[in-house]
Amino acid sequence: MVDMVGGEMKMNTKATGIAAINRHKGSDLTARGEPMVWAMGGSLALGLLMITAFLGLIFWNGLTAFWPKPIEVVTTVDGRVIAGEPVRTESYKPSAADLSSLPAEARAKIEAAGGMSERTLYRIGNFDFYSNDFEWLPVFSVKSVAEPKNLMLVERSEWGVFIGKILSIAVDGKTTVNPPRAELDAADEQARDLRARRQAIERDKVGVINHAINAERLKARKAVLAHGEGSPEAKAAEDAAATETARLTKDFDRLSAEALAMRGKEEAVRVKVAEIGGQERDFALANFVRYYAANDVSFFQKVGIYLSRWWEFLTDEPREANTEGGVWPAIFGTLVMTIVMSVLVAPFGVISALYLREYAKQGTLVSLVRICVNNLAGVPSIVYGVFGLGFFAYVLGGSIDRAFFPEYLPNPTFGTGGLLWASLTLALLTVPVVIVSTEEALAAVPRSMREGSLACGASKWQTIKWIVLPRAMPGIMTGLILAMARGAGEVAPLMIVGVVKLAPELPLDGVFPFIHLERSFMHLGFHIYDVGFQSRNSEAGRSMVFVTALVLMVLVLALNTFSINVRNRLKRKFAGDKF
Amino acid sequence: MTDATSAPDGAGNRPSVVYKRDKKTKASVIWADRFAGRAITIGGFAVIGAVFMIAVYLVYVAVPLLSDGKVTSAKHYALGDAGGDVMSTTLDEYQTMGVELLRRGQLMLFQASSGERFDGPSVDLKGQRPSAFARTLKGDDIALGFPDGSVRVGQLLIASSVLPAQTVPEGLRKLPGGDLTDGKAIFTPVPGNQMRRLEPQLTLADPVQVAPAGTPIRFIDYRVGGTSERPVQIFVTVDEKGTVRLSMSFSQVNMMTGEMSTTVSSLEIPTSIAGDDIAALLLNTAGDRTIVASHDGTVHRFDTRDPAHAHLAETTRILPKGVTLTALAYLNGENSLIVGGSDGSLSIWAAIDRKSTGTTDGIVLTKIHDIANTGAPITRIAVSQRTRLFVAADEKGEIGLYHGTTARRVLTLPTDAAVKQQQVETLILAPRDDGALAISHDGTVRLWSFSVPHPETTIQSLFGKVWYEGYPEPTYAWQSTAASDSFEPKLSLVPLIFGTIKGAFFSLLFAVPIALLAAIYTAEFMHFRIRAVVKPVMELMASLPSVVIGFVVALVLSPIVENWIAAVVIAFGVIPLTLIGASFLWQLLPQPWALRLDGVPKLVAFFVALLAGLWLTMSLGPVVEHLFFAGDFKAWTSGEGSAAPFIFLLLLPLSFMLVFGVGKRLLGSNYRDGLRRREYHVAGAYELVRWIAFTVVALVVAGLVAMLLGKTGFDARGGIVDTYVQRNTLIAAFGIAFAVIPIIYSIAEDALGAVPEHLRSASLGCGATKWQTAAWVILPTAGSGIFSAIMIGLGRAVGETMIIVMATGNTPVTNWSLFSGLRALSANINVELPEAVKDSSLYRTLFLCGLVLFVMTFILNTLAEIVRQRFRKRAAQL
Repeated sequence: MVDMVGGEMKMNTKATGIAAINRHKGSDLTARGEPMVWAMGGSLALGLLMITAFLGLIFWNGLTAFWPKPIEVVTTVDGRVIAGEPVRTESYKPSAADLSSLPAEARAKIEAAGGMSERTLYRIGNFDFYSNDFEWLPVFSVKSVAEPKNLMLVERSEWGVFIGKILSIAVDGKTTVNPPRAELDAADEQARDLRARRQAIERDKVGVINHAINAERLKARKAVLAHGEGSPEAKAAEDAAATETARLTKDFDRLSAEALAMRGKEEAVRVKVAEIGGQERDFALANFVRYYAANDVSFFQKVGIYLSRWWEFLTDEPREANTEGGVWPAIFGTLVMTIVMSVLVAPFGVISALYLREYAKQGTLVSLVRICVNNLAGVPSIVYGVFGLGFFAYVLGGSIDRAFFPEYLPNPTFGTGGLLWASLTLALLTVPVVIVSTEEALAAVPRSMREGSLACGASKWQTIKWIVLPRAMPGIMTGLILAMARGAGEVAPLMIVGVVKLAPELPLDGVFPFIHLERSFMHLGFHIYDVGFQSRNSEAGRSMVFVTALVLMVLVLALNTFSINVRNRLKRKFAGDKF
Repeated sequence: MTDATSAPDGAGNRPSVVYKRDKKTKASVIWADRFAGRAITIGGFAVIGAVFMIAVYLVYVAVPLLSDGKVTSAKHYALGDAGGDVMSTTLDEYQTMGVELLRRGQLMLFQASSGERFDGPSVDLKGQRPSAFARTLKGDDIALGFPDGSVRVGQLLIASSVLPAQTVPEGLRKLPGGDLTDGKAIFTPVPGNQMRRLEPQLTLADPVQVAPAGTPIRFIDYRVGGTSERPVQIFVTVDEKGTVRLSMSFSQVNMMTGEMSTTVSSLEIPTSIAGDDIAALLLNTAGDRTIVASHDGTVHRFDTRDPAHAHLAETTRILPKGVTLTALAYLNGENSLIVGGSDGSLSIWAAIDRKSTGTTDGIVLTKIHDIANTGAPITRIAVSQRTRLFVAADEKGEIGLYHGTTARRVLTLPTDAAVKQQQVETLILAPRDDGALAISHDGTVRLWSFSVPHPETTIQSLFGKVWYEGYPEPTYAWQSTAASDSFEPKLSLVPLIFGTIKGAFFSLLFAVPIALLAAIYTAEFMHFRIRAVVKPVMELMASLPSVVIGFVVALVLSPIVENWIAAVVIAFGVIPLTLIGASFLWQLLPQPWALRLDGVPKLVAFFVALLAGLWLTMSLGPVVEHLFFAGDFKAWTSGEGSAAPFIFLLLLPLSFMLVFGVGKRLLGSNYRDGLRRREYHVAGAYELVRWIAFTVVALVVAGLVAMLLGKTGFDARGGIVDTYVQRNTLIAAFGIAFAVIPIIYSIAEDALGAVPEHLRSASLGCGATKWQTAAWVILPTAGSGIFSAIMIGLGRAVGETMIIVMATGNTPVTNWSLFSGLRALSANINVELPEAVKDSSLYRTLFLCGLVLFVMTFILNTLAEIVRQRFRKRAAQL
């Protein structure tokens, strides 16, 4: 295209003499370059369309994921009956085998549509019945669709969703057939209460004892390492540990028995259910997380269910290999990691920028360093991950382990990926961002202000502290927020230096020293990767992934929008005139 | 200050206060200043240093990959004569104890470090002296052939156990170096106040008659195959008459009685080899291949996959005429032969499936490596049990450590000048590949310890083609782990670098035009109020976490693209054509209208045109697929149907250029002058007709040429179009483009915005249109800034990780097909590093991958940064 225009330009100059006479009448179309303008405008439109479609997809899927959908009972042409939530409908190309089994009329219709037909994905649940919880139904195989009011959708803590009827409940040996809702709720309340009490014992008390027993073992081991095997000190420590362990074990046994008894009671509250085909099964009611008659809920009840699902998502722990439940540990891990990273990156980034801009002698070396720092912002994050694992975790962490935690070896404490190393790696990754933006902010402070301050007799540090830094502060904050946004959204290096799919313990808890920087942690970004790509059935986790992606994106976009706003305000404040 | 100003009120008789200004700066201020200065300088240096340390550390970890390793100790001593009838010698994995099996069934033990010798247990060989001996590659299983034609299989292993020091019996004989012995076992102190006990155990099963009674077994080779629960013992024997027999023995537990019963089945393999010619006999663990080599270098390979129909599959020469075979052994994995000749040659031959008609099974023994001509003939070879390492001794007693796949001598094991080099009788490579033991004719023992952590990596193996066994030719291959023991890691960085470049190239092919065109429009044609909204929105795109993009692209987009692939392919042509067609339609508007609608309405029109283009592709897609791609695009990529449509696509740009160029010449300047005399919208109508005519002609020309070429059978698909997989380069490139577009856009827009306003004013003032100003004034000025934008985008595309991990199959292929996957350096690190053992070859190679990425992006970014700084300086001077 450009060549063509070039040619015309030449022609233009040649033909000026003739054209001059008729100038008033028409105009040169090529001078307007309308096709190129449209190519440019179209590209911009494409870019905007892409981002709108992307955001729309995430927001729509994320926001609607928890909205209760009706349960459709579909009777197929070949007589099967399926009950499920319709998930989505797409157009697809039926295979030749499918087509050949169709009646001629339906086949003609598909061929008229260019060989494409539509199908709907149903979430049929009941993995324990069917060993499959999603099913595609082509449009041409559907005979009739109904929405009976008596079907229940039950979210369970095991085996995922159940769709079917509740036949009876048994509480304290008393069986009620076709229980009314109030009775079901009361039984559920009872089972839930029992489960909560048992879990309190198992998680809190038994956990603490386990921790104490382990601590005793380590104490003895430490004494052995310090004084040598068989030395009197080691013997004494070992004896002390043995008596203490015996005492703790007794407690442990007592609590375990208590929990076991509780579990028995909990299991005694039963519920009998039947899926749409009539297969019956019997569960402990405590297994139920949430249940509702999907086709018989009012709008306000739906809102209630929607909100309670969001609440569970934001505050609970994940279940079912992360495909259900909440993402609280991941949100918490992301936040703690980002905060630790910011605490590390802010002072160091600002100090380096101050050095480069205010203290170092400006010359070739400093501009070289500046180019390199700029470059490092463009080095792939995975490279930082490699460095983080090799240097921080293995070299630094390994040395810390040998020096301070020899009793834990060969189990690594700091010698493997963990929160501290992940934060440090990301701090290293984002420090160039902070340096560059801080430098820009420092450079934007007019020279006259510095000179004025120095002329008034302030020292260099006083000038920086009271004149330069306050004016540069918005710029520094912008860089820091950008760094936080990048850190929160980064996944690749974290996968190497300490993020795990399921962390048993939060990095912050009630056990001394309360903040456990050596622990591995969960992260929203990795959660998306793990559930979307590593789980048994990516379909089952799909809505979870959308919601997680929504949460992560809202977090990152909020940070970014904030910093872009700050930057724009700054630009307006400092920019010269422009038209 | 207060001291100076406050006056002592009590002393009234003194004159009024003297205001004395303290000119000294407070010490605290000076100290704070100094402290801040120091702290900032040190801190600044530290941070910048820490960041640079990354590169240094990556190099530090990766460099040992290229080192050959070193010999850590070498010692020698004289081991007394064992009576001259040593059949086999073993060394344990800690190099503590050597065990010699004598022909009379007696085990002799010696401490490997000193040669201190004592008797071990023995078995009753019933008065016979074995005439043939074999052991498996792993070393624990042995087979003995006897002069009466019988064979006994068994085990000779050095059992190792660790006991608390207190439980070791008292009164043991002390050995040099702190070891103890009770005459049967050696005890070595190990950390943690414990003792390691090493004791040889020898068991032999009852004899099995294989050859006719009284025919001595000359050669035997033995393997244990099957599963660990149901082992199958396989051995092949050659008796004095030259008859080759393959025998298998199955052990079965009787379900009723629990008794173990063993059945042996033997069968003769028909051969025509004279018994005296045979130099070596080799069997593999699967028992499906037997190799008989003659002294003159002829190899007979028998196919015994079906033992009942065992037959000669191939006869080939592995040495030139006149050269005698001096040593032959399997390399670990039992696929390659190490061949030593009397001319001092050492080569590796692999059985490669070449679908050849010259052999019965299509497999041909092929020389894949020539290691070195050592000068003296190789006499003894000992192979590693876990890698492709082996040690070989030559006639002069010189010993080297070699690596088969990289075809090189890794180390030459040094011999003390005091030791007379003699021909080596026994050669052992320690089980952990960390030492070697050689016993010469005169009983001189030489023992080396060495450390060769990364024998498989060299510059050649990392960046060049390597001929791996099982491959028909030298290749670049990446395959780091597999299930089997005898697996050999293939660590070539080339497929990964290729994948990185492929992903970055295709994504930029998509991203650069869109980002640059959009940036030019934003900077030059857009009202600044709209720009203030549009630019942040595009920049928002830059901050989207790549894991979210990867997820959407891989799980949402890839199934859609798979269904609509034909539409996606034609979209690259149809959408631009629709936009340009729309521009010609826009020219039909009378000029006042066109000017009035220039702002937001035109922007809306872009969207409308774009959506129309999308609709057009969607509706054309199935039709095109039906007409040109035989109704199934995916099958077409695998080579079905005619190649003509692909040639058509390739020819399109060419024919468009040709038709538009020639057409313009044909119409000439009269047409253009005619246009100028017409009203704006009338001229637009002429132009529209011209454009449609040219486009149709261009399509027809390309179509005709493609049909002709297609008729001749010319297929351009090879290498460029490959079998469609769901997660492919197209999908990944789109995802990366999504991440890269906002970066290029933003930097390019900044560069365009930095062009001084007076240039723009001058150009417009001279009567140039906005388009002329943008194309001939602004773009050339901002060119270097735009170049740096592309470079930075490229840097980001090269380093992108999560999108590639998620959206491609991570298959290390080396073709340019859009429809096959790729494996990039970054994704490779991400996938493999969590599993890599610290300091292993894989671990270090992954660090090398990181280093390569670092260097690639560093170069790109530095280039961009330098160009950008120059541009800034120039823009400021304009």
